[in-house]
Amino acid sequence: MNQTVIVDPGAANLAFSYGMILLVVGLARLGGAGREKDLFWASLRMIVQLTAVGFLLRLIFAVRSPLPTMLILLLMGAFALQVMGGRVTSKVPGFYRIAGISLLFGCGGVTVYFCLLVIGASPWYSPRYLIPLASMILGNSMNGASLAVERYLSEVRERRDEIETALCLGASSATASTPALQQAFRAALIPTTNSMAAAGLVTLPGMMTGQILSGTDPMIAVKYQIAIMCAIVAGVALTAFLAIHQCRKVCFTAFHQLRDDFFQNN
Amino acid sequence: MRVPPLVLENIEKVRTGEDGRPRRILQQVCMTIPAGRITVLIGPSGCGKTTLLRIANRLEDPSGGRILLGNQDIALLDPLQLRRMVSMVPQKPFMFTGTVLENLQQPFVLRKQDPPSPTDPSWSQSLAMVDLTHEYLPRQAGSLSLGEQQRVGLARALLCHPQVLMLDEPTSALDRPSGDRLARSIQGLCRQNHLAMLVVTHDLWFAERVADDVVFLDEGRIIEQGETAKIFKDPQTEALHRFLLYPPKVGGCL
Repeated sequence: MNQTVIVDPGAANLAFSYGMILLVVGLARLGGAGREKDLFWASLRMIVQLTAVGFLLRLIFAVRSPLPTMLILLLMGAFALQVMGGRVTSKVPGFYRIAGISLLFGCGGVTVYFCLLVIGASPWYSPRYLIPLASMILGNSMNGASLAVERYLSEVRERRDEIETALCLGASSATASTPALQQAFRAALIPTTNSMAAAGLVTLPGMMTGQILSGTDPMIAVKYQIAIMCAIVAGVALTAFLAIHQCRKVCFTAFHQLRDDFFQNN
Repeated sequence: MRVPPLVLENIEKVRTGEDGRPRRILQQVCMTIPAGRITVLIGPSGCGKTTLLRIANRLEDPSGGRILLGNQDIALLDPLQLRRMVSMVPQKPFMFTGTVLENLQQPFVLRKQDPPSPTDPSWSQSLAMVDLTHEYLPRQAGSLSLGEQQRVGLARALLCHPQVLMLDEPTSALDRPSGDRLARSIQGLCRQNHLAMLVVTHDLWFAERVADDVVFLDEGRIIEQGETAKIFKDPQTEALHRFLLYPPKVGGCL
């Protein structure tokens, strides 16, 4: 097969690209939308962050040790926790512990399984594989778990009468809150299920597009995409499952009562 | 079967108010709900009546004091077992999605037990007690009126054969003839099954009609308690006297 020549965008190409952002800033100013400053600063942040990550990845790829890769993954996990904290508006007590455990075992477990058994890169910590794959699984798992926790808490609030009636009738807290848990789990899986269903028809998924642009054979890119899609769904499902099950334990006492300090009586 | 009484000893409940300061909901509440008698709890809105029922059902725990079922502290019982012995029917019983039949079978489904068949004689008895017939069984529970839903809620509790039955405002959506029939039914139920019954109501007509004993609660404290005739005919405190003269207008038989 012929070696594909990769087009490396130069400074001028990037300047043309940034021109599109300036066009949007201009439109925002003209239309009086008032978000031009936010847009401008966000675009600058994006450039600085991505450039820094690019240099960092180059450095890490050159090091023959798992330590920098592990540190990067930990850092990404910490940022994911921070983002979840900002996104979930009503937090249960011990929210960060719940989110941390869910991400560690849900997303972490799937990433390890995927990298060791599916990709089988050598060495096992190969940052070229581990970092981008983990980041995709982590990003989606973080979104799924945030959705699941938020939805579970709102379902418990809305279904308070139903839950307490079930408790009065002798149901355990696990049985009484099952409908809320099912709804939350379903909500967590909707975005990934939708993107799986639309893959290839509505959009070409990001990773596959990136690989094709960098010269990879489309069929190899497709195989990677199928594998990562499966890993993302598993990561989202496992992280959300762990998060809502831990939330359930916090929302109820050991005596099958809704925590009245968290769900105050009207 | 000998049914033990429910005894409340020095029940206290403190909650954190919206201003972040502790608010005493119940203070030193002592009362006995004997088997075979109907005890009615009356008092103004917000005086802690419903909280007391929730505590007796262990939907919440008291901040102090204890509750005995017979000689056993309910804090030491498995809450799931306790709620099967001490049933509570809320003012607006929640109707699960489905028919009346499915709602009546729901307690057994929730407890992962086989539900009894509607042909079981206890069904006819329980339905008759609350003025319902078998014709109601295929109807969608959510489409019933509030009064009918209250009766389904009561039948659902009766089918579980509790030892103690607690009703929160059972007449709030009933007209007077229905309230009268309900009064007769729960009196019959209490005597026949030797049940301990605690009824919370704003409806003084219903209270006088159904109660053996009356407890008057105000601002979380028991102000007076005694036999029905004594409470209604000879109130000893100004608070009860005023309450009987100007009862709350919320709910009650129409």
